[in-house]
Amino acid sequence: MQNGDPHIGMEDETYTDINGKAISLECQSHSGFCREFTVSSAKVSIGRVMVYTCAVWLSAYTIFFFTENTAVLSGAIIVTLVGMMVHIHFVKVDHETLLVIGSLGVQVSSSYASGRESTDFIEMDKIKDIVINEAIHMQRVIYYLCILLKDPTDPEGVSSVVPLFQSSKPRLNCLIKVYKSCQEILAKC
Amino acid sequence: MGQRRREAAVPSPPGNRHSDMLTVAPQVPAKKHNICMVSDFFYPNMGGVESHIYQLSQCLIEKGHKVVIATHAYGTRKGVRYLTNGLKVYYLPLQVMYNQSTSTTCFHSLPLLRSVFTRERITLVHAHSSFSAMAHDALFHAKTMGLNTVFTDHSLFGFADVSSVLTNKLLTVSLCDTNHIVCVSYTSKENTVLRAALNPEIVSVIPNAVDPTDFTPDPSQRHDDRITIVVVSRLVYRKGIDLLGGIIPDLCLKHPDLHFLIGGEGPKRIVLEEVREKYQLHDRVRLLGALEHKDVRRVLVQGHIFLNTSLTEAFCMAIVEGASCGLQVVSTRVGGIPEVLPEDLITLCDPTVRSLCEGLENVIARQRSGSVASPASIHAKVCTLYTWRNVAERTEKVYDRVAGQEVLPLDRRLVRLTTHCGHVAGSLFAFVAVLDFLFLLFLRWLFPDHLMDVAMDTTGPQGLWRGALDDRKGTRSKSAMLKNEKAGPHQTKL
Repeated sequence: MQNGDPHIGMEDETYTDINGKAISLECQSHSGFCREFTVSSAKVSIGRVMVYTCAVWLSAYTIFFFTENTAVLSGAIIVTLVGMMVHIHFVKVDHETLLVIGSLGVQVSSSYASGRESTDFIEMDKIKDIVINEAIHMQRVIYYLCILLKDPTDPEGVSSVVPLFQSSKPRLNCLIKVYKSCQEILAKC
Repeated sequence: MGQRRREAAVPSPPGNRHSDMLTVAPQVPAKKHNICMVSDFFYPNMGGVESHIYQLSQCLIEKGHKVVIATHAYGTRKGVRYLTNGLKVYYLPLQVMYNQSTSTTCFHSLPLLRSVFTRERITLVHAHSSFSAMAHDALFHAKTMGLNTVFTDHSLFGFADVSSVLTNKLLTVSLCDTNHIVCVSYTSKENTVLRAALNPEIVSVIPNAVDPTDFTPDPSQRHDDRITIVVVSRLVYRKGIDLLGGIIPDLCLKHPDLHFLIGGEGPKRIVLEEVREKYQLHDRVRLLGALEHKDVRRVLVQGHIFLNTSLTEAFCMAIVEGASCGLQVVSTRVGGIPEVLPEDLITLCDPTVRSLCEGLENVIARQRSGSVASPASIHAKVCTLYTWRNVAERTEKVYDRVAGQEVLPLDRRLVRLTTHCGHVAGSLFAFVAVLDFLFLLFLRWLFPDHLMDVAMDTTGPQGLWRGALDDRKGTRSKSAMLKNEKAGPHQTKL
């Protein structure tokens, strides 16, 4: 056990998500019972923002050229601004963090590009297990990590499944690493 | 009868027929395959094809092959599930059109099937049932992807009506470049070869089987003061329910101690209900409705005589199940039925009310005089005839043979399609094949193969389920079962 060493998992191994984009996994071990996994995907690239903005403005200008209605141009500006804000506030996730604290619970949080964070905590006595599962996702079959929640009425049963790292969608090698670490902690409590 | 003699003339079972070719080819006998069974029909749907796929897969897993099954989603059952011994089933969300068969557009199933084939590293695609559009789609895509293909036909088909003509054309197109075809009886082989204009040499006959331990006789369940005739079949036209409706009043009039026990459900139930109403036979004709597979034996053992009135049948599993339960079998002489059981276990009649009545009366008379074989001795004879292990062995030989063959590259496949399937359909499907290939290239660009995670093997040489498999004779280890459940019913679609 590498207690006390805060950065056990700065990996040499490179991870990608299911679309082949590079992501990074950071494992922090706060103590033997507490580990934090952060999956970070690439930041919003200026290039892509420019491309989308230009596309909207060019099409708006084309329409303006034929209709000569200036409302189109102001509309385009509003669309790009609102679109970008919605994107960084609700869609684009920069980091997803999974904090496992033995005997206490699991905290799942994702921080959006705008800085907004959404956090969820699941108590340990509600958690049955953390497993890697397979699912059909958009014409593909992928692996994902999920938390199985206990069914309060039936101790053997599972009431629902909480998928983890939903927006970064790491590939199997990354999931296995997180899974093994989590299981080490779950086995101890 | 002709077929039976032919079977006797060839000493080795048909799967063996190419054994000389096998020895010539540099084949390693221990070579294990990664097999994907594809069919629209699988559990929770019930029927002969479903149990065939399941049992065959189980026996192949036992032999060390890796088997996965792909079928379409049934209601809320979608995603990936595991069955006994790590048999992995993909319930793919494809739209169901008619009668549990998916629609075929030739393309929409490619992304998902490619994903399954690639991540499971499938080497051989085995499609089942000509009624299943998904099976044909899978054959088509597998050939585009350069995988070996085997097809099993489970049913007989006519030639005369419009729907048959169309289906037969589709079958011709689908099978013209399939590596090997398996039929369940010689009649079925003859039918398929004619329908799909195939070279008979690439068609093998491997019969179905029953699990003899599921169908054991139990004479104590019978009522000795009466004679019970059992019918277990879907109540549809193909199963000759109209004939049954003609037989019931005649025989019930002649034999006051005769009872009918009818299991199954279907549109022709109304025929039987009318007969029952008209002749006031409510106490003697019992309609049990749809039966679950596990209840079939309970019904069978209550009877003395098993009656099958099918009008067409490639290989009748029901009569083997009936005989395995120790019943006297009376059946129509249609399709592959005469090949199924030896003459002393079955009474064959023409598919007419008169002939079936005569046959049944003969058997009833023998039953009364006590000159019939005991249920136990009938069971002993039947249980050696058809076993799934034997089926799996013979199927394995087909796989070994197919694995050594090359898959036609696109240019030769196009030539084959245009020369073999007629001008119009051939050119049309050659065009579709080109589109399919382009679509595959597009998908390979969009989701490259190297970005797909290779699935963990549950079965096969590196199967993770092996621990559970080894002590399958005893009770399976609790942990393996728990793991099974854990992975099983909680798959969600993200």
